[in-house]
Amino acid sequence: MKVNKIGVIDAGVETPEEIILAADLIPVRIFGDPNLSNKIVNEHIPSNHCVWSRNILELGLRGLSHDIKGIITTHGCDCTNRQFDIWLTYIDIGFKFFLNSPLKTDKIALRFFINDMSELIQQLEDYFKVSISDEKIKNKIILMNKIRLLLKKISQYRKKMILKGSDFHTLVKLVQTIEKNKAIKILEQKLMKLEIQEPIENSNLKKILLTGSVIDDSEFIRFLEKFNFQIVIDDLCVGTRYFWITVNEKGNPLEALANYHLQKPIYSTKVPSHNRYYFIENLAKKYKVDGVINVAQKFCESILYDHPFMKKNFKELGIPYLFIEKEYNRESYQQLVTRFAAFSELL
Amino acid sequence: MEIKNNTKILNATIGLKTIMGRHFLAIEQAFRDNKPTAWATSGTPIELLYAMNVQPILPENSATMAAAQKLSKNYIELAEEKGFSYDLCSYFKTNFGAVQCNADMSKGGTRKPTFLLSSDVICDTHVNWFQTQAERMNVPHYTIDVPHIVGNTNQRQYNYYKKYVEEQLWDLIAFIEEQTGIEFNMERAKEIAKNSFDLGMLWQDIFNLRKNIPCPISTRDTFGGLFPLFTMPGLKAPIRLYNRMYKEANERVEKGIGALENEIYRLMFEGIPFWFSLRFFSLLEKHSAMIVYETYTYSFSKYMNPRVTKEKVLNEPIKAMSELMLSFWYIYDLETRIKKYIETIDEWKIDGVIMHNNYSCRPNSCGLYDLKRILQENYDIPCLIIDGDMNDPRKFNEIQITNQIESFIEVLENRKRK
Repeated sequence: MKVNKIGVIDAGVETPEEIILAADLIPVRIFGDPNLSNKIVNEHIPSNHCVWSRNILELGLRGLSHDIKGIITTHGCDCTNRQFDIWLTYIDIGFKFFLNSPLKTDKIALRFFINDMSELIQQLEDYFKVSISDEKIKNKIILMNKIRLLLKKISQYRKKMILKGSDFHTLVKLVQTIEKNKAIKILEQKLMKLEIQEPIENSNLKKILLTGSVIDDSEFIRFLEKFNFQIVIDDLCVGTRYFWITVNEKGNPLEALANYHLQKPIYSTKVPSHNRYYFIENLAKKYKVDGVINVAQKFCESILYDHPFMKKNFKELGIPYLFIEKEYNRESYQQLVTRFAAFSELL
Repeated sequence: MEIKNNTKILNATIGLKTIMGRHFLAIEQAFRDNKPTAWATSGTPIELLYAMNVQPILPENSATMAAAQKLSKNYIELAEEKGFSYDLCSYFKTNFGAVQCNADMSKGGTRKPTFLLSSDVICDTHVNWFQTQAERMNVPHYTIDVPHIVGNTNQRQYNYYKKYVEEQLWDLIAFIEEQTGIEFNMERAKEIAKNSFDLGMLWQDIFNLRKNIPCPISTRDTFGGLFPLFTMPGLKAPIRLYNRMYKEANERVEKGIGALENEIYRLMFEGIPFWFSLRFFSLLEKHSAMIVYETYTYSFSKYMNPRVTKEKVLNEPIKAMSELMLSFWYIYDLETRIKKYIETIDEWKIDGVIMHNNYSCRPNSCGLYDLKRILQENYDIPCLIIDGDMNDPRKFNEIQITNQIESFIEVLENRKRK
C-alpha cells in the first residue's frame, strides 16, 4: 500500500513525528539542496535573509516530490512563520500546518504546546480522514524511542574513532526521511557492523564538538574531515538533538511529547538560549574535545546572537573555539580552507 | 546632501520635546527615588508597568535618539568589536554600544534597571537582545511568548493563543510583584488601560485627518509624535498633546491647508524610518510628494482589533491586552497585510507606496517582495522598495536612494498625466 508523506520544515527538530506516524503518514524532514541556485526565491525573500530557509523555500517553490501530501512548518525563528505565509500562497500542497512550538519551556508553555499538538491531530484527522488515538501515538512513541536509543548507541562510535562524523550525519539524515521500521533495520545492521569494526587509522585526528545552525549537508562534514577533524559529538538537529533523550512511554502521550520537546537540549531559538552553551560545555568536558566549531548559516540571527557569549565562555574555559559563517552552497566551502587549516594547526 | 524641509510642522508637535523630556526626567527621578524600573521592548504591555508603578525605559527609543544625533554608528561599531555581527539589528547594537560606553541618557544611553521585559511578538531580536543585556547586567528578564498567526490560523487556534498570552500576563504580574514587592491593583490597571485606549484612539483620529486632501500632517509630526505611544501609554500628559495635535490639524483641514504647500502625490511608507536621516523625507516633498500614512507609526495606536472593544479594555484590561498582542500591523500575516494595504490605500487616497527593506528588521522585510508584486500586478499600485537600515548609516546609500525616488516620482507623474 502506498503511504503518503508529510514534509517537515523544522530547524529545531520540535515536530512530534509520532503524531504524523499515528496518522499513518510518513514524516519526511525537508533538507536543503546546496546545489540549488536561488532562481525563484529571490522574487520572494531578500538575499540578506537566512540562507538555509531561503534554500528550503526555493525547493518548495520548484515543487516537492508528488508523494508529499502536506507540510508542517514548526516555529523556530522569525523566518519560519513569515515564510510559511509564502508557502501558503504560492505552493500547491493540500495540507499545511504551522506548529507554534513555544519559545519558553515552563508549565504555561507546556499547556500551550499540548493544545497546539491537539490541533495538529484534529487537522490531520479532518484532512486525511484518519483516526489518531492515544494508543496509536503511544505505539509510535515506543517506535521512535527505539530509534533514539539506537542512534545514541551508534553515536558513541564517533568518540571511539570508529565511525566518521560524516557517516553518522548521513545516517541521522536518512532516518529522518524514511519509513521508521526500515530505519530501525538499517540502524540495527549498522550497529552490528560497528561492534566489530576497527578504529580509523589516523593518529592526527582532532576531537571536535560541532554546534551551530541547521547543518544538513553531509558533504560539509566530509569537508571538515579533510582537516583531520573528527566530530565526536555535536548538539545539532541533524545530530544529538534528534535522539539525546527519550519520550516518557507512560501517561498522557501528548503531555509526554510536549515535555520531551521542551526538556531536550535547548536550541538557540529558545529562551534562555544561553543554556545551550552550558549543555555544550558539559559535552565538551565529557568528550574531552580538542576544540569546538560553531557554524552559522549566513544571516542565522539566533546563532549570531549567541556567538559572543560562547566565545567568551570557551575562552575562559581554555577550550579552543572557532566560529564561522557559511553560505548555503558547496563552492563557498573553499573560502573556509584557511580558517579550518589554521584551527587544525592550533589544535 | 543638504535638503530643506518643505512641510509645516504642527505647533503642538513642538510640545513633544517637553513631553519626552518629562519621560526622561521620570526615569531619572525613579532612579533617584529607588523606584523600580524596567527596560521594555516595543510590543510589550507597557501599561502593566505603569499600573504597577514601575518606570518603563524603552531602549529602542533611546537608540533612535542616538541615531538622530549621528551617534549610532559609533555604538554599533563598539558592539561589533565585541563579536556581534554586522548583520544583526542596529537598534540592539546601538543600545549595546551605548551601555558599553556608559553613554548619557540624552545620547542614547540607558541605565541598569530592576528587570527587563521583552517579547517575540515583533521579532526574535527583542528576546535575544534583552537576554544578552540581562546576562551582562545580571538583571532578571521576563519574556512573553506570543504565538504567530499565519494565513490559515483558525478561530480555535486563535482562542488558545489568546489564553496562552493571558496566562503569561498573569505570570508576568506575579514576576513583577516578586521583583518589586508591589501588589497588582486592578482598579489602577483599568485606569491606565482607559488612558492608553484614549491615547491610541486619538492617534487614530489624527491619522484619519490625514485622509483629507491636502494632508494636514507630515512625517515631521508623526515620526516623533509616535514616541509617547510606546513610552507613555496609560499616562494623561500625551493625551493632552495629541488633543492639541488633533485640534490644530483639524483647523488646517477646515481651512484647506496642507502640511505641504503643493501636495500632488500622496504616498504610504512601509517600515521603520532611517532615524539618522529623517530630513531625507524632505526629498519627497521637494517633488510635491507627501507621505500620508506610515504603517509603523500607525501600528503603535494598538487598538485596531475590532473585537477588542472599549468596554473590554476598560473592564478586562488583561484579557484585552493579550488579544491586542496578537493583532496589529507589524505582525499581520501576508494575506491580512495585503487586505489592510488595499483598504488603507483606498481610504487615504494613496498614489504609491515606498517600502523600506530594512537590513535590521528581517521579520518586516520578509513578505515585502510579495506585497509589492501583488499591489502592483493585481491592484495597479506603484511601489518602490528601497534598501537601507533604521539606525546604521553605513547601510544607507543616499545617492542610490535619491535616484530611485526620482525615478519613482516620474512614474507617478506619468500616471497623473494619463
